[in-house]
Amino acid sequence: MGELVLHPSYPLVLESTLGVLLLAVLVVGLFRRGATDHVAGWLTLAGLVGLSLAAWQAEPGRVALEGSFVVDELSLFGKRLFLISATLSVLATLGLSHPSFRKRGTEYYVVFLASLLGMLVLASARDLILLFVAFELMSIPLYFLTGFLKGEDAAPEGAMKFFLIGSISSAVILYGLSFVYGAVGTTDMAAIPAAVAVADPLVLLGLALMAGGLGFKIAAVPFHMWVPDTYEAANSPFVAWLSIAPKTAGFLAIFRLYVEGVGTGALFWVPLFGTLAAVSIVAGNLMAIPQTNIKRLLAYSGVAHIGYLLLGLTAMSVSGAAMVMFYLVAYLFGNMGAFFVVQAVAGSEGSDDISTYRGLARRSPGLALCLLLFLLSLGGIPFVAGFWAKLFIFWAVVEQGMYFLAFLGAVLTVVALYYYLVVARHMYIDEPESPHPIKVPGVLMVAIGACMAGIIVMGVYPEPWVQAFMRVAMTLFSTT
Amino acid sequence: MGLHAYLALAAVVFAIGLFGVITRRNMVGILLGIELMLNAVNINLVAFSRFNGEVTGMVLTVFAICITVAEVALGLAIVILLFRTRRTAMADHVDWLKG
Repeated sequence: MGELVLHPSYPLVLESTLGVLLLAVLVVGLFRRGATDHVAGWLTLAGLVGLSLAAWQAEPGRVALEGSFVVDELSLFGKRLFLISATLSVLATLGLSHPSFRKRGTEYYVVFLASLLGMLVLASARDLILLFVAFELMSIPLYFLTGFLKGEDAAPEGAMKFFLIGSISSAVILYGLSFVYGAVGTTDMAAIPAAVAVADPLVLLGLALMAGGLGFKIAAVPFHMWVPDTYEAANSPFVAWLSIAPKTAGFLAIFRLYVEGVGTGALFWVPLFGTLAAVSIVAGNLMAIPQTNIKRLLAYSGVAHIGYLLLGLTAMSVSGAAMVMFYLVAYLFGNMGAFFVVQAVAGSEGSDDISTYRGLARRSPGLALCLLLFLLSLGGIPFVAGFWAKLFIFWAVVEQGMYFLAFLGAVLTVVALYYYLVVARHMYIDEPESPHPIKVPGVLMVAIGACMAGIIVMGVYPEPWVQAFMRVAMTLFSTT
Repeated sequence: MGLHAYLALAAVVFAIGLFGVITRRNMVGILLGIELMLNAVNINLVAFSRFNGEVTGMVLTVFAICITVAEVALGLAIVILLFRTRRTAMADHVDWLKG
């Protein structure tokens, strides 16, 4: 069995290879104690690129651990997204000049990979125990990574707030999970749809509690308080990843628990998710307006984006679920790209204040154009990915006759454009404070370029993506 | 005693934990509240497992206990880190970020 674990046909091959990579980074780091270079980071990057390619080749339709671990279309979608976002994040991390990353880089990458391992397992979990363990394996390293720059004043505080909210939400999720287990009598998630169909009160109570806990994890209003502080305190490449990967993990868990195989029973959850979506869109967008720190602005706009994603979920249809996936990928490229530009500017100017962006177009026209396109994609302007993402979400919602939610979402898009364009105005109209161009490290430029390619390809040619995601969504609604 | 007595006990312990998390100003106190919430879950799981005549719930309890330990260990590390930089363990004094 030992040598078979790394064989390409073994269902857990991605996870076990990632485990080997984690140990390799740890061992290399231990032997090179005191070295002040980025060897651990480059090793991590090489491994992640290899794993991303392997995930692209992987075929769905395999099961392991007596059905509790499945490799299906949905799990492969999740794994690819996690691996690509992690690769981009590590690429950008290599461009950080902070001394902590030279001295304690091994710690950072090992813990980062542990969190990623949790996400990969979570994408495939079809058993409540595995789901919970994977969720915690993902979450606990995130608290550590937030506080990684422990010398900085804000980092421990951001980590503390994230930790407190995160562990309370874990407790709530687990409390809900215990009711689901108690009512169903097994930890196999395949048994949940039958219990939901007969409206077993214990199962509904359990799933409602879990929805609250997952709301904290994906940062929907009113469970979003930790987001701006955590984003402001942590380093940008990590925040870029934090803003997409754990959120995607939360949505995968929601798909598995509330949508997959439930059929029309899923309509029971429409009011709950619809309310969360509407509140998140309105509150997220409105709270983003007065922000003067660009990371906080992106944090609140991220809360609004979670609202749009929940809007797609509220449709509870094949197209709705597919468009959630499209939105997640579009959001990945747009948001990570924006955070990478923020990292480049902060690395040179030492500040995340929006006033730092004054006259950026005259100092570094290329960087300013990149940020503009990322912001336009987030705002939903045609011919970049975000436009199709928003349009498809509204379409799916209107298809189900929820005109009010679609209208609300469309109106608030205008508000979102306002605060994105305030940043653009600073870049293009205001006078620069210093004439020097911003120095961007080479690796960071590659990461920004990759995100750029992502939003443009998705924006100009969305069709193959839509078809691929429709196929994934079909499997969610077809089983049983 | 029936299943409902255990569920009620767990609900009370969970509520006490949540109350502690909300009202405590000392961060170690908040951590204790989180511990109580997680232990309420364990009571729930073991009770369900016993009355369903099925052992998986006990297995989940063991996992939950292990993970809780890891979580609280990290939480205490963060409290110590915060104490070193700020000389306080009171949540009210941690106000550099705007909240």
